[in-house]
Amino acid sequence: MRTLVGWVLGGATAGVLALGVVDLPREGAGLPQIAREALRVALPQWHTTEPVSEVVYGTRAFDTFGETFLLLAAVVSVLLLGRHRERRREYFGEEEAGKEEQQYENPGDEPVGPSERSAREADARESGGRPAAAVTPDAEKVGTAAPEPAWGMTAVVRLAVRWVVPVLAVAGLYLMLQGYSPGGGFPAGVVLVGLVLLVYAGFGYRRIARVVRPGPLEVVELIGALLVIVVLALGFLRGSFGANWLPLAPERTFRSGGTMQAFSAAELIEVGTGLTIVIFSILAVRHDWTPANPDDSDGKDEQ
Amino acid sequence: MIVANYLVAGVVFGLGVVVILTRRNLVKIVMGLSLVESSCYLLLLSMAYRRGSTAPVLLGPPKGNSEQGLATGNVADPVLQNICLTAIVIGVAVTAVLLVTVVRIAQHYRTLDADRVRDLCG
Repeated sequence: MRTLVGWVLGGATAGVLALGVVDLPREGAGLPQIAREALRVALPQWHTTEPVSEVVYGTRAFDTFGETFLLLAAVVSVLLLGRHRERRREYFGEEEAGKEEQQYENPGDEPVGPSERSAREADARESGGRPAAAVTPDAEKVGTAAPEPAWGMTAVVRLAVRWVVPVLAVAGLYLMLQGYSPGGGFPAGVVLVGLVLLVYAGFGYRRIARVVRPGPLEVVELIGALLVIVVLALGFLRGSFGANWLPLAPERTFRSGGTMQAFSAAELIEVGTGLTIVIFSILAVRHDWTPANPDDSDGKDEQ
Repeated sequence: MIVANYLVAGVVFGLGVVVILTRRNLVKIVMGLSLVESSCYLLLLSMAYRRGSTAPVLLGPPKGNSEQGLATGNVADPVLQNICLTAIVIGVAVTAVLLVTVVRIAQHYRTLDADRVRDLCG
């Protein structure tokens, strides 16, 4: 029944869309006015040979502005949904503070008899060399990390990564700096994310842990977002939000697009750090908020 | 015959809707949504195409034409290409949020079956 309804509704959607799209302008139609305008102003007003970048960061900068903050909102949602137990940053002293109440509730452990003692010893033997959890919360070390399962790969992979990473880094930065590629900072940011992932896959998390941490990455990401706002808002000096306020260099140089290039660089920071945060927080959704409760008998735990 | 591209985009959109409606696995539902997104990319890029056009790059004009001449010549639509770029980033963002939600649902209910996720139901 569900399958039937699904196919009927899906087919109906496809049919309605098909009816709609046959009326769209085809390959023979003239370009719309807005496209002509973008092509016309690319060289004289922005000194860039790349109209797509000019549309992204120039004439339709406000779209890109909205998109940037949609991405930021998504990053924040992923962080919120995927956050795990926070690490201990300082000494809290729950045990010390709750001692009196605990004493009242639980006046003292029952004396452990010989059978109980041997059972506990057997349990300790069977659970192997696994380091026991801290006896009390207060004894847990500050800044203890979760065990890291991602170790480095073989020497072949590591060598390949060592060779590829500088090439990719240069290629990514080139995409952004030259501004010839449609999009500039967006593809460049994704290339840099790929680079981080390569190093992660080849060398394990430990090698990048110092750089790829939520703390510094979030700060850099927000700096990128702030740069986007500043670059676009300074356009008010020249009349409108997103207008060019930087001097224009001749085309096909680093600074040829004026604020276009600045916006593109900010976008590189934003996209690069944003996607890194998203990927690593998805990888790190390890801590299970719902403990598997053996007494839970309503069948939820069967699967 | 660019209209074939348009129709394929419509069909892919429909297939995405079918996947969303008929599958119960949450990961597959997210994949269906990605299919719908992809159909939009196909439609946008197909709409940007013009017969015999060049890429919207004002560089290396053919003989007897200036770079500014390219701007009034036969090129693909740069605005739709920009919209497609925007759509890709938004697609990635939405998919990431959905996947994290799916992971949390899986951890909470110990299942990926949408039929068994019923706590909001009465």
